[in-house]
Amino acid sequence: MNNRLELLNILTSVCPGVDFEKESALVDDEILESLDLVTIVSEMMDTFDIELNVEDLLPENFNSVDAMMQLIEERK
Amino acid sequence: MSFTSIAFLCFLMLGLLVYYLVPGKWQWMVLLAASWVFYYSAGWHGFLYLAFTTISTYSAGLLLGKLNKARSQLPPEQKKAGAEGIKRKKKWVVACTLCLNFGLLFVVKYYNFTAEALHLPLPSLNLLVPLGLSFYMFQSIGYVIDCYRGKYEPQRNLAKFSLFTSFFPQLIQGPISRYHELGPQLLRPHKFQADNLKYGIQLAMWGYLKKMIADRAAVPVNTIFGDLEAYGGAFVAIAVAFYCIQLYCDFSGGIDIAIGAAQMFGIEVTPNFRRPVFATTLTDFWRRWHITLGTWMKDYVFYPMSLSKPLGKVGKFTRRKLGGKLGKVIPTSIATFTVYFIIGIWHGANFRYIFFGFWNGIIITGSFLLSGPLIALRNLLHIQENSLVHRWIGRARTMLIVFMGRYITRAPRLLVAFSLLWKTVSTPCLYQLRDGTFMTLGLKALDYWVIGIGCIVILTLEWFQEQGTPIRKTLEKKSVFVQWLCIFLPLLILLVMHILGGEYISSEFIYKQF
Repeated sequence: MNNRLELLNILTSVCPGVDFEKESALVDDEILESLDLVTIVSEMMDTFDIELNVEDLLPENFNSVDAMMQLIEERK
Repeated sequence: MSFTSIAFLCFLMLGLLVYYLVPGKWQWMVLLAASWVFYYSAGWHGFLYLAFTTISTYSAGLLLGKLNKARSQLPPEQKKAGAEGIKRKKKWVVACTLCLNFGLLFVVKYYNFTAEALHLPLPSLNLLVPLGLSFYMFQSIGYVIDCYRGKYEPQRNLAKFSLFTSFFPQLIQGPISRYHELGPQLLRPHKFQADNLKYGIQLAMWGYLKKMIADRAAVPVNTIFGDLEAYGGAFVAIAVAFYCIQLYCDFSGGIDIAIGAAQMFGIEVTPNFRRPVFATTLTDFWRRWHITLGTWMKDYVFYPMSLSKPLGKVGKFTRRKLGGKLGKVIPTSIATFTVYFIIGIWHGANFRYIFFGFWNGIIITGSFLLSGPLIALRNLLHIQENSLVHRWIGRARTMLIVFMGRYITRAPRLLVAFSLLWKTVSTPCLYQLRDGTFMTLGLKALDYWVIGIGCIVILTLEWFQEQGTPIRKTLEKKSVFVQWLCIFLPLLILLVMHILGGEYISSEFIYKQF
C-alpha cells in the first residue's frame, strides 16, 4: 500500500465521513479537533515510523492530505 | 523586596537610571546585577536554590547542544544507528536534569506532605520554600526540553543564561517565559523610549490598583473563613465570591506590575491573563488564566504524553474495543488528568489541591464525552452556536464551575470544602444579609465601594478589550494630558486609599509562595 493510501486509511478511521482529498482547511475549518489531531499524529508516527513533536502540531501541517504527506516525507 | 514596597519602587527607579545610562552592551549585566540584588534581598538561602537550578539546566543545555551537533555531523551511512545512540544519551541528560530539579522541588515542597499522607516513619523537614521556586524551575526545564528538541542553540555564557532564569520582574510569580522569546530581548541593547516608560508605568499602575482591590477583598474572606461556624451558607458563598475577586486581582495585578516593570526596560514579557471572566468553557478559562502555565503544560506534558508510544497503544486498544468518541477520548483523558493533577499539586502540597486538579480534569473530560448530547440539547432549544445567548450561558456555567472550584482551594480541608458547599444550599441563613453582619467583616463602607467600583471598572475595560477595542491604542489618540492623567489618577487613588485604609496595603502576593 502506498503512503498516501495508508494516510487516507488512518484519516478515515479517525474521522469517518470526511472527504479528505477535497478538504484544504481541515484544522482551520475545525473539521479536525484537537482530539482527532492527537490520534492522527499518534497513528502517523506508528505507521510511518517517524517522529513528530509539539513543534510539528501546526495547522498548516494538518490542513490537507498534501500537507500531511509533505510532513511525513520530511520526517522520513 | 515586595512589589508593593517603597524599597522596590526606589530599586526600580535606580535600576532604570543605571540601565539607560550605561552603554547598550552592558545593559544585560545591569539587569543581572539588579535581579540578583532583588532575589538576594529575600534571603541568601533562596539564592542557593536558584543557583542550583541555573547551573544544572545551563549544563544540560550545553550537553544537549553538543549532542545535537554530533547528530547533525553524522556521516550518512551512520545516520540511523548513530542517531539512536545520541537520542538515548539526550534522553539521559534530560531525565537526570528533571530528576535533580523536580527532586529538589519535591523535597522542599512535597516531602512532608507525602510522608504524612503515606504514614511513612520519616522525620519531618523544616525547609523554607524559596520565592518563585516553581516559576523559575518550570521556565528552566522548558529551556532544557527545547534544547533536547533542537529548537535553538543553547546559551554558552553562564552569566547570560542566569539572567534568563533570574530576570527580576517575573522571578517571583511569573509569567513562565520561553528562552527563544525572552533570552534575546534580555541580551539586546535597548535605547530609552518614552513610550516604553509610559506604557510600563500605566500597566504597573493598573496592577497596583488591582492589588489594592485584592487586599481589601481578602479581609472578609479571612474573617469568614476564620470563623466558619458563625456564618450561614450565604455568607460562605459571599466569602468565596470575594476570594475569586481577591485571587484574580492579586495574581493578575502582580503580573501587570511584572510586565509593566519589564516594559520600562524595553522588554516584552508574554501575557499571563486574557480576561478569564469571559471564558465560555472551562478549557477556555484555562487558556485565559495563568496562560503561560497552561501552554507550558500543553507543550511539555500534554502533547508529549498524548503522542507517546504507551498512550498510542492505549488509544489503539480503546478505539478497537470501544470505538468512536470514547475510544479517542480515553488516551487524551489520561493526559488531561495528568496535566490537571500537576496543576493541582503545583498550587500546594495538600489533598485539596489534588482534588482541585481532578475537579477540573473531570469537567473537561466530561465535556468531551457529553459534547454530542449537549449539541442535541442546544438544537432542541433552538440556540444558535456562537449566538449571544449561547455565549452568556457558557460564561455563566463556566463561572459557576470556577466558583465551586474555589471552595476546594480556599477551605481549610477537603472535607470542609464539601460541607461548605452543602451549607451554601442547605442553610443559607439569609437573615444575616440584613442584620448588619456585612459591617462586622472587617471592612468599612468605603472599602466595599472601592471593591464594587473597582470590579465594575475592570469588567468594563475587559469587556471593551473582549470586543476588540485596543485600550492602549485608543488612549494613544487622546492628548498627552489625558495619557499622563491615566498614570497620575491611579497614583492619586492609591495614595488616598493608603491614607484612608493603610492597614490593607502591602500584603504579600498569593502566588509568590508557589
